[in-house]
Amino acid sequence: MFGRMKDAMADAAETLRQAFAGLTVVEAQPGPFLLHSHGSAALAAEPRAALEVPVAECREMRLLREAVEGRALEPFRTELRAEGGWARWGAEAEVIRMTPLEAGRAARVAVPPLPRKAQVLGSLEPPVRPATRRQLDPLLRPGTRRLDPRLEAVSVVSGLGAMLSMAVPIRGEDIHRLPKGLWMRYSLQLVRGTGENVRNLEVLGLFRIPRKGVADLSHDPRQGRILVRLEPAAITAPRGPFILARRKDDGALLSCFVEDP
Amino acid sequence: MAEPIKLAYFMAVKEGTSYLGGLLVTDTSGIPLDFRYTEPITPTRLQSILYGKSLEPHLKEEVIQKTLLKELKTPPDLFILSATELAGGWSGDAKYPVLAVQKSQEAPLTKVGDAFRSGPRELLIQLTEGAAPLRVMFAASVDAVAQEQALGKLLEAGYHMDLAEPLERVTAALQSLVVKDS
Repeated sequence: MFGRMKDAMADAAETLRQAFAGLTVVEAQPGPFLLHSHGSAALAAEPRAALEVPVAECREMRLLREAVEGRALEPFRTELRAEGGWARWGAEAEVIRMTPLEAGRAARVAVPPLPRKAQVLGSLEPPVRPATRRQLDPLLRPGTRRLDPRLEAVSVVSGLGAMLSMAVPIRGEDIHRLPKGLWMRYSLQLVRGTGENVRNLEVLGLFRIPRKGVADLSHDPRQGRILVRLEPAAITAPRGPFILARRKDDGALLSCFVEDP
Repeated sequence: MAEPIKLAYFMAVKEGTSYLGGLLVTDTSGIPLDFRYTEPITPTRLQSILYGKSLEPHLKEEVIQKTLLKELKTPPDLFILSATELAGGWSGDAKYPVLAVQKSQEAPLTKVGDAFRSGPRELLIQLTEGAAPLRVMFAASVDAVAQEQALGKLLEAGYHMDLAEPLERVTAALQSLVVKDS
């Protein structure tokens, strides 16, 4: 209640302040307003003649010969007269006519109603809250695949034929380690088998090789062995002592199987 | 008459991205009695990733070697590997004495048949007169008694044949088979 009253008075004060803003204050001469004392003249009797004789004065009445300016017919005009005092005052002061108070220009100004509730400023807007979700969408279950890392069973191939095609090195026995009687027996069989004189033969070695299935045979003198290429029949054939010799006169190779006792 | 000694030589090789192995059974003269080899196995990329470093040992021991041993009709007296395979930690079947043979550059021993033990599982044996002795390395599964028994068989076979040579033959055969297939 007091607040509204206070605001209204403040509005009225502001209105008056705006109305009289700009007034120029002029210093007035004090003379006219000073009181002056004057002495009054002494009353004197001035003799007058007696009553003067009435004199009749004849006045001629002129006829209206000219058009009389119809001033009298002019409509009455209103004239705004200011009060003299104000005019005098206005000679010294500048009268400002309030525009809002001019006739025909005045308008009703709607005074906006005062807010019923004061707006409180300065408070920060609350931060925007993140949207919360109650739960995430469940992940799709991935499809599982089974890939057996085990290595496949390997198949086995028989390759004896391929192996037999390769030369087999067979080491010669040390004939010096053989019993003398046995060696004599072998020597005799060699002479019989080859038909050569034992003095003309140089024994290269005694080898135990299959009695059948030997397809090829070569001598490796550097290592004292023979290289044989075999046939499948050699697998099951019995092994027998085989003597390889060289004929001394022409270097030809001679060989024969000998019999074990 | 005693049963002839049979020597089984196993070798697995890698050619490109494929693995294959061969098993050669010989008599004491080195003459082939049986030879079987596997078809080349080419692991897939996924298998190579999943197996990692264990792929090669697994292939050689679990797949190739066991498959080849199953094919043997009669068990060998000695199962001979390359020294590289044995050093990689052989963990195969212990029914046969497993060993590796390797030519050495050591000075010859006194006489043929001599043996010099250089370790609990390694020894040198003199098989031929004047030549360098042969180095023999046994697998961890072969105890001392089995080693002595195997040593006698090695001396007997080594008298007639080069004990290390058949491994070269198996390798050459496998390589020729790969070339033939490709």
